[in-house]
Amino acid sequence: MAGTAIGEGAGEWVPGQDGARPADDAPERVHAEPAGPDQAWREEAERGLGHPADQGSHQIGDRVPAREVCRQVSNLGGLGLDLDGAYAWIASFQRRLEAEATELGELDRRAGDGDFGANIRRALRRVERRLDEVPPTTPGELFLGVAHGFLNTGGTSGPLFGLWFRGIGQASDAPVMTLAALAKGVDAGTATVQRLGKARPGDKTMVDAMAPAADALAAAVADGLNVAGGIALAADAARAGALATESMRARRGRAAYVGDVARGVLDPGALTVALFFASALA
Amino acid sequence: MTAQDAIPDQIIVSTPRRQFVNHPDDVVEEALEGLEAAYPRLIRWNRDPSFVARAEPAPPGRVAVISGGGSGHEPLHVGMVGEGMLDAAVPGAVFASPTAGQILAATQAVSGGAGVVHVVKNYTGDVLNFEIAAEFATDDGITVSQILVDDDLATASMTGDGPGRRGTAAAVVVEKVVGAAAAAGADLERIIAIGRRVAATSRSMAVALAAGAHPGSNRPSFGLPADEVEFGVGIHGERGVGRRAFAPADDLADQLVRPLVADLAIGRGDRVIAITNGLGATTGLELAVIHRRVAKILDAAGVTVERALVGPYVTSLDMAGCSVTLTRADDELLALWDAPVRTIALSW
Repeated sequence: MAGTAIGEGAGEWVPGQDGARPADDAPERVHAEPAGPDQAWREEAERGLGHPADQGSHQIGDRVPAREVCRQVSNLGGLGLDLDGAYAWIASFQRRLEAEATELGELDRRAGDGDFGANIRRALRRVERRLDEVPPTTPGELFLGVAHGFLNTGGTSGPLFGLWFRGIGQASDAPVMTLAALAKGVDAGTATVQRLGKARPGDKTMVDAMAPAADALAAAVADGLNVAGGIALAADAARAGALATESMRARRGRAAYVGDVARGVLDPGALTVALFFASALA
Repeated sequence: MTAQDAIPDQIIVSTPRRQFVNHPDDVVEEALEGLEAAYPRLIRWNRDPSFVARAEPAPPGRVAVISGGGSGHEPLHVGMVGEGMLDAAVPGAVFASPTAGQILAATQAVSGGAGVVHVVKNYTGDVLNFEIAAEFATDDGITVSQILVDDDLATASMTGDGPGRRGTAAAVVVEKVVGAAAAAGADLERIIAIGRRVAATSRSMAVALAAGAHPGSNRPSFGLPADEVEFGVGIHGERGVGRRAFAPADDLADQLVRPLVADLAIGRGDRVIAITNGLGATTGLELAVIHRRVAKILDAAGVTVERALVGPYVTSLDMAGCSVTLTRADDELLALWDAPVRTIALSW
């Protein structure tokens, strides 16, 4: 059945053997193993996210001078994102997620219920199928296709990503998506995710990477940057936001059930957002 | 010392149970296939994305009513699909929310242009997935409105900043009444008002004698000593709000009903619909014994039980136990309750 995690990856079931799993929609529960701050995991995550667009000596979260970034990033369309560019971005995102799915799932296991990696993999397969069935003709339609792919994922993170991509997709029906449209879409999608997910920045969720990315895109539009420059700034901001979730105590999402146990664990949802923007620059 | 006394408590209450399962992963789909085979005149199963709709759709121009949630609560919700009740039900995996994609597909399938009602039991995953599906449905010009069912008095402390009360057996009352209003041609606004009023004036309380086990698992989700019951359980095998002494049926029924009467502030002259609901493994014989006492307590309080259901309607796999649901009733509500219905679980 679509979007379920029963017996995922388990061996052959034998009658009489126990394969109990906890309830997904039960309001209480979750027993995660205690997890302290773990430098190895942080380093792993930083490797997975690559380095900031400006590879100079600045620390994580430092603001890279915008115009300098523009000079360094050249493989995206300057004036806007066309369908080929959007396809390349999503394909790169898929490859990155496939490569990181196990690690993302492991982070989720330490602070949530461990189904994140499997759900993301399933979502990617759905995205692929959707794009084959309903081939997009504009970048906006492509992001709407991605949105529908994520909708059929179990749990709550997948559908929330669906909402977010819907915001991006709805921002433009033109053959070329401008930076202004992308900024508007990311902002609208982030607002919808916050409204329905009832999460604010600082709650240790995907919003902690989405909100800074939206702000960075808006600033890039105000500064008159091109799409490549804007996305580079957003990637930086999302990366810093995702890494900052390590020290946060979860107030929303599955990790909220384990409280302080989740401190020291990066939020896999926020990391996924950071991977998305970083994928455009790969 | 008798042989009976020599058996340790834990063995008495946690004897591994056997189930009719081919493979745990296939239970939900195989059950839907079985129901479709049994009731082809009532329901139609859309395999992917999975949802169950009425075999004969309602005439266009009517408000459509959908519900859904994790499987394991049979006959809820698929058993409530049919004329006079639900237009579609969206089953998730066992105890897991259906996906937003499933809910969206069902919403699109039954939309008749007059709006779609989502009846949602209050669980974080269910609420979010229904809300996300509603958000996407508006892109297709479909107006969706949600009725939240949150009747479980055991979780009253979860209100305020928390997740709120859980939704349990009051879903049956809400779905019946809302479905009847839709069948009568009421508009979306009117139906939502009625449904929310019913949800707001319904409360439930449950007690478990033994926990259930997931398909493929031979262990119940919690153990109980032979002399205790789990009070205030939900419908997902989670522990309740406390342990109490195992007692005769009348005593346990008293403990279920009194807090409901107090919370709903009902007394002499008030009228209710009552559901004495089995949680899966409890027999009809036992449920009737419980309901006998429920009726007596309410009668003594001067409360008229206008209509009642006794049986397994909202279950928690094979949990042994029962819940009692009371809903304030008036003439309008009773007329909607009495309206014709033809579903797997309810038919009159």
